Amino acid sequence: MEKKIKYLIVGGGVAGTTAAETIRQKDDAGTVAIVSDEPYRFYSRIMLSKPNFFLEKIPFEQVWLKDEAWYGKNRVELLAGRKAIKLDSAGKTITLDNGDILNYEKLLLSIGGCARPWPIAGAEKRGIFYLRTLDDAKGVISMVKTSKQAISVGGGFISFEMCDMLRLAGIDVTLLLRESYFWEPMLDETSGRMIEDALEKGGVKIMRNTEVSEIIGENAVEAVITKKGEKIPCQIASVGIGVFCPFTWVAEAGVKVNRGILSDEYLETSVPDIFVAGDSAEFKDLVLGEQIQLGNWVNAQMQGRTAGLNMTGAKNLFSMVSFYTTQGFGITIGFVGDVRPEKDRLIISRGSKEMNSYARLLLKDGKLMGATLINRTQELGPLSKLIEKRTNLAGKESELADVSFSLANLLK
Amino acid sequence: MIKKISVDRNLCIGAASCVLTAGTVFELDGENKAIIIQKNSVKNSGPAEKGAWADEAVADETLLLAAQSCPTKAIFLFGENDKQVYP
Repeated sequence: MEKKIKYLIVGGGVAGTTAAETIRQKDDAGTVAIVSDEPYRFYSRIMLSKPNFFLEKIPFEQVWLKDEAWYGKNRVELLAGRKAIKLDSAGKTITLDNGDILNYEKLLLSIGGCARPWPIAGAEKRGIFYLRTLDDAKGVISMVKTSKQAISVGGGFISFEMCDMLRLAGIDVTLLLRESYFWEPMLDETSGRMIEDALEKGGVKIMRNTEVSEIIGENAVEAVITKKGEKIPCQIASVGIGVFCPFTWVAEAGVKVNRGILSDEYLETSVPDIFVAGDSAEFKDLVLGEQIQLGNWVNAQMQGRTAGLNMTGAKNLFSMVSFYTTQGFGITIGFVGDVRPEKDRLIISRGSKEMNSYARLLLKDGKLMGATLINRTQELGPLSKLIEKRTNLAGKESELADVSFSLANLLK
Repeated sequence: MIKKISVDRNLCIGAASCVLTAGTVFELDGENKAIIIQKNSVKNSGPAEKGAWADEAVADETLLLAAQSCPTKAIFLFGENDKQVYP
């Protein structure tokens, strides 16, 4: 079957759905379709790793962010459970896994990130989760009710949230880190240890410099064996070892990709009429002056908006400072801007482990690029403003390091 | 016309999309929950009437965008006669 669609969107998450909504506001007549490889309408992916959702303190229904009628009312065709497998950028078509060919005028790739697969034999056994999709979450919700022991692999936001949820559910949790501390090398050791202290106080057992070599169990995971030979019984293994997407089918069509799909400041890729938004975009960030890929909700949402507008013929620059926060085990963690500890960054510490409140401000040439915050999320507002305004902070290093100094003073 | 805002703290997960879209109205507190910035340094999750907001001049559209951007639909907006506008 061949079909013509004016605005074709691949990916039905927050970036794709926001783009569809934005397009419809600007172009009442043009056909809009969303291809989603999940069999569901738009839901809150960010909620999937939240303990209150897992433990059913938030009603499951709350996960849906659009009701079914929304698609019909807005004339957005949802092709759910379908995967795009081929892009022909010259002929302007997308081929789906059922053989259907969709012809587009403007294409949006909002295909998200993919969880890096666990490179161990048996990683497909029941009980092993990446927590990327709603089906993953449903699997964990049902497993939690009957499981006694779990492992969580990797240090990061998802791993932290999973440990919290599993402990709240009364499950014994062992956290396996390949590195020597939590979130190395993204965070420094002080931040990593603060998070580890919180996890340990919450009853999580942490094994550092540890990798799994073998998964035991017939069809479902029963235990794992580490490279050092220790055996850890578990009925749940939550794996969060990063994001990696090959984007082969996109690259084959001549769209330039790096770690993500490359775009300019208008979110248009190297091929005209093909746009990108969300976790899969490695876009030209006007604020930071660098090519950057972010994996957070607000970034995806706002990029969906800008890409949608630009697909209708507008020429809007994407410019935003985004952040992500989480809380659990009595602490809050926040990241704002670009937190990669690149070699050219000057890193200023604000607070300390002893104060139980600690931030790292990452500067480049006197300008703030990003910050990581533990128990200081109240400072997200002023920090994001300092990044956005490109405030020159050279010579202000001692103020930045002084917790009694209000950052808002630097904005005046 | 939006007359009143409240945040359901049980639903709020601190994604901070509201802080980004309406930074003169919302910020996060020490528990990583959204709070409404009000006059006389009052900050809480509400309900907060329009007259009490620090930024009384904020556009309805901005508030609506902030509420719609929330990934858990934790922000409640009310119009005339306490009629719920969103969600």
